[in-house]
Amino acid sequence: MESKKPLRSAFVDDYVVPGDVILDLADMTNQTIKLGAGLRQDCDTIQVTSAGRLRLSKPNKYWVENSQKRYIPSVEDTVLGIVVDTKPDNFLVDIKGPSVAFLPVLSFEGGTRRNIPKFEIGTLIYARVVKANSIMNPELSCMDAIGKAAEFGQLKNGYTFETSTGLARMLLSSPTCPLLEALGKKLSFEIAVGLNGRVWVNAPSPSNIILVSEAIKQSESFNRIQQRSMVEKLLAKLA
Amino acid sequence: MMDQRWRPTVNEREFIEQALQSDLRVDGRRPFDFRKLKIAFGREDGSAEVELGETRVMGYVTAQLVQPYKDRPNEGTLAIFTEFSPMADPAFEPGRPGEAAIELGRVIDRGLRESRAVDMESLCVVAGKHVWSVRVDLHILDNGGNLIDAANIAALAALCTFRRPECTVGGDDGQQVTVHDPEVRDPLPLAIHHLPIAVTFAYFGDGNIMVLDPTYKEEAVMGGRMTATINSNGDVCSIQKAGGEGVMSSVIMQCLRIASVKAADITSKIKSKVDEYTTEKAVRKVKRTPVLVAKKNDVPDVTMESNDGALESQTSKTPNDAQGISKDPPAIPNDKRHEDAKSRLSESNLDVESMPNSGIAGESDEAKESVSPKSLKDAVKPKHKRKKKQHGKS
Repeated sequence: MESKKPLRSAFVDDYVVPGDVILDLADMTNQTIKLGAGLRQDCDTIQVTSAGRLRLSKPNKYWVENSQKRYIPSVEDTVLGIVVDTKPDNFLVDIKGPSVAFLPVLSFEGGTRRNIPKFEIGTLIYARVVKANSIMNPELSCMDAIGKAAEFGQLKNGYTFETSTGLARMLLSSPTCPLLEALGKKLSFEIAVGLNGRVWVNAPSPSNIILVSEAIKQSESFNRIQQRSMVEKLLAKLA
Repeated sequence: MMDQRWRPTVNEREFIEQALQSDLRVDGRRPFDFRKLKIAFGREDGSAEVELGETRVMGYVTAQLVQPYKDRPNEGTLAIFTEFSPMADPAFEPGRPGEAAIELGRVIDRGLRESRAVDMESLCVVAGKHVWSVRVDLHILDNGGNLIDAANIAALAALCTFRRPECTVGGDDGQQVTVHDPEVRDPLPLAIHHLPIAVTFAYFGDGNIMVLDPTYKEEAVMGGRMTATINSNGDVCSIQKAGGEGVMSSVIMQCLRIASVKAADITSKIKSKVDEYTTEKAVRKVKRTPVLVAKKNDVPDVTMESNDGALESQTSKTPNDAQGISKDPPAIPNDKRHEDAKSRLSESNLDVESMPNSGIAGESDEAKESVSPKSLKDAVKPKHKRKKKQHGKS
């Protein structure tokens, strides 16, 4: 039984840049390491391909957490897309990726040729990425794995804005990020966050919507404590 | 690359209009608030970078001697060139300027030319043969909305800080022009009579809701736009309303009134930034002559240190030691004394600036000697405070 302790990378939770070697496999035998986003195996070494923070999930899963303005589609991500065109078979949806994504007209709960939804250009859709690779256009679906609607579909009213992918992941982290928790205690609003860096906010009054949007946009680089204090200051100003 | 362009969602469109019904803008501003304005200057004269919220524009002014136009033989020329860099917006294509670029250039050009903001006759060197041709290049670095206003401010800031070389006419026939090197003779500023400020309004709804300084999203959703170029005297230099929704004449008059108030505000901001830049440049020029400065320091140093034995290493009336101060500041062993010397030098620098006409060292020395009994006490106290602070730090 090999001990796994000496094989933990020295760079875990550090900032890494492309080209850094985080692990040398020469001294490992009969062990599996799972590589997530931003890492690549190069013969005997594991190298970083995107800049960010290296994370380790015990026992052996490594990945790089990075934040960009552009989104690289990957399967099972939930994203917010904007319809740019309608074709007989697909809706063409922009998800801030390198190419426009296809949303088949039948990928809705109970979707048949007779009840195809009518989306005009500019409609906001909350969908799930089903197929994503570098060669083809990504494919979306408005159903979950079972076939139920599960909150997917068109989002009406409210306001959308764009953020970096890192901020979107922070908003979706569990337990709930302190920003949303603090805002939720005083204001009532609903929010949909796409991992592609798009956020939708809705609330009964326009001023609440603007407040929540601005608070989220300002917290791009704040840690937990800063988020909480920023929200407290903001709400104190209003009261 | 049509799919790379940003498009507004139906939600954004509806929300922006709905929020404006209750006088709210999506970035938290009120309808007639400008975004935060930042003006920075480059190392060379005539280079300015303006940030209006997220919009960034760089202005760059150059001049060269050319032959004047035949119908205006004793006037210089002014030309505006705009470049909409694709890095500012994915919708900008490289190459020939599009409609928006040409419109922007024309509005700024009209504002400066028609109102005679820049004096063209002062740019004439030899009538009919040599005049200065001033060229303003505007580079759009980031399109965050309202490019016209930002580019106009960049052009004005660059023109205010631009310096053209001095040239003299001479020679046998009185036609030879010598352009002097800026190191030899200080270059001259342009003669600018007033600053025409462009103020842009965006219309929403049925032309009854208007906002100032639209952002990128508001521009995508607006019904129409109007730019009024006004100076702080209230003279309307140009108005541009190209298409879009129709608006009532009463609305236009109200916009002009608001614009004149905003123009005065922006004019004062530009002027204060330009003044800051020019005084900082002048101060940098003064500090280029350290020897003179050290000599003037000499006298107060001497009178102070005669009471304080600890600083005798710096005391001296002889010019040699004065030279020592200016040449070898690291020679002083104690760090605290070094800091004192530097702070005293900077203090006397202020004295130097306030007395620019005391070029003769002897006179100023005498003046300081007679003043020194008073300044001794004043000087001693702060020095002690400084020493205490340093002790506290160490």
